Amino acid sequence: MTDLATANHLDDLLHDYFKPGPSPDGLARRVLGARRRDAEELGRLERSLAIQATPEGVSLIRTGKLDKPATAAARRLAEQAREEIVEYLAGRRAFFSVPIDLSGTPDFQRRVLEAAKRIPFGEARPYAWIAERIGHPHAVRAVGTALGRNPVPLIVPCHRVWRSDGGLGGYLFGGELKRRLAELERFTPILAGSTATRIVCRVGCHQAASMRPEQRVVFGSVEDARSVGYRPCKICKPLSAA
Amino acid sequence: METDREVMARVAGQDETAFSVLVERYGGRLLAVARRLLGSRADAEDAVQRALLQCYTGASSYQPQWAVSTWLYRILTNVCVDELRRRATRTAYGASYAAVDSARPREPRRDLDLHRALARVPREARVLLALRYAEGLSYGELARIRGISVNTVKSQLARGKALLREELGKRGILHD
Repeated sequence: MTDLATANHLDDLLHDYFKPGPSPDGLARRVLGARRRDAEELGRLERSLAIQATPEGVSLIRTGKLDKPATAAARRLAEQAREEIVEYLAGRRAFFSVPIDLSGTPDFQRRVLEAAKRIPFGEARPYAWIAERIGHPHAVRAVGTALGRNPVPLIVPCHRVWRSDGGLGGYLFGGELKRRLAELERFTPILAGSTATRIVCRVGCHQAASMRPEQRVVFGSVEDARSVGYRPCKICKPLSAA
Repeated sequence: METDREVMARVAGQDETAFSVLVERYGGRLLAVARRLLGSRADAEDAVQRALLQCYTGASSYQPQWAVSTWLYRILTNVCVDELRRRATRTAYGASYAAVDSARPREPRRDLDLHRALARVPREARVLLALRYAEGLSYGELARIRGISVNTVKSQLARGKALLREELGKRGILHD
């Protein structure tokens, strides 16, 4: 068999393999239906959030009312947290850069929260995983309690901690929202390149804020992006994130 | 018949009938690409629905100098690439976030071999191969869809095909 024949055969195989079928029935209707259901709940959560901060970082996030931050520095951080949360809930941010202040949190709880913060975006871990990581493998219930009192939900992603059997477990904003957040993260990409600059950033990097929709290309890894001529952003450092 | 661009202009005005026309024209083609990239029909439909939703809500950002198909494939490949990333990084614990693609329906043996061989091709090249063979898109269109140079398209496709040829050779597919 000549090289040419092999090449043609491969082309035929691939054409056949990728042959399109008809458009599935009712696809447009399903898409428009999903649109109406989407984002309702997340929008409600966003509007109800109150954020408290110290000059060191965000210290409390709750629904309802909280005292206003006392100093200008604290107000700026609370404002930054709100902006990041809005972007996150809109699927435009895959990480938080605003600092948090856990100084008022008891030692055990702080360690639980720090472990939870290490769970990558879009993934989940069981309560027992946290218990093991902080050196208290039998304290699964206490881990649940500590997460239930998370002072800075969303930013410390206690919603990524599920039961070992795949069940949701509790959530301080309610189980339905916990499920919604999992879904949100499932459909939020974490790396995007700009066709204008050929720079790849973590989604949410302010360097990429001016990127127009048609300039946006999603990548699966920094290595993938590099292989087609993109370089990693020096501000958000996507390599260290992955 | 209305051109794609005329249909898109109406979709930008949130015209649901125009959107149905667009889906009728492209749904099957988008699904073919997604299906072959993601493996399962359920995941592919999910990805196509996501992409079409983004197309509908973001229709006002569509620029008429783009072919509508190019614009749609940009959105679809963005969704599919991210889904492929998630699968690659998914750990035993992370599996609860997404259905694992375990039960593959009965498929012709050759398709299964092709599927496995394609899985060995790096993601970027795999996406370009799918677009090239499902749609017969030009190098220029592929470059625009993935935001890369034409030379990169060519080298990625060549590399992808060389890998495929090697994999399929091992499986005896290219020597029958």
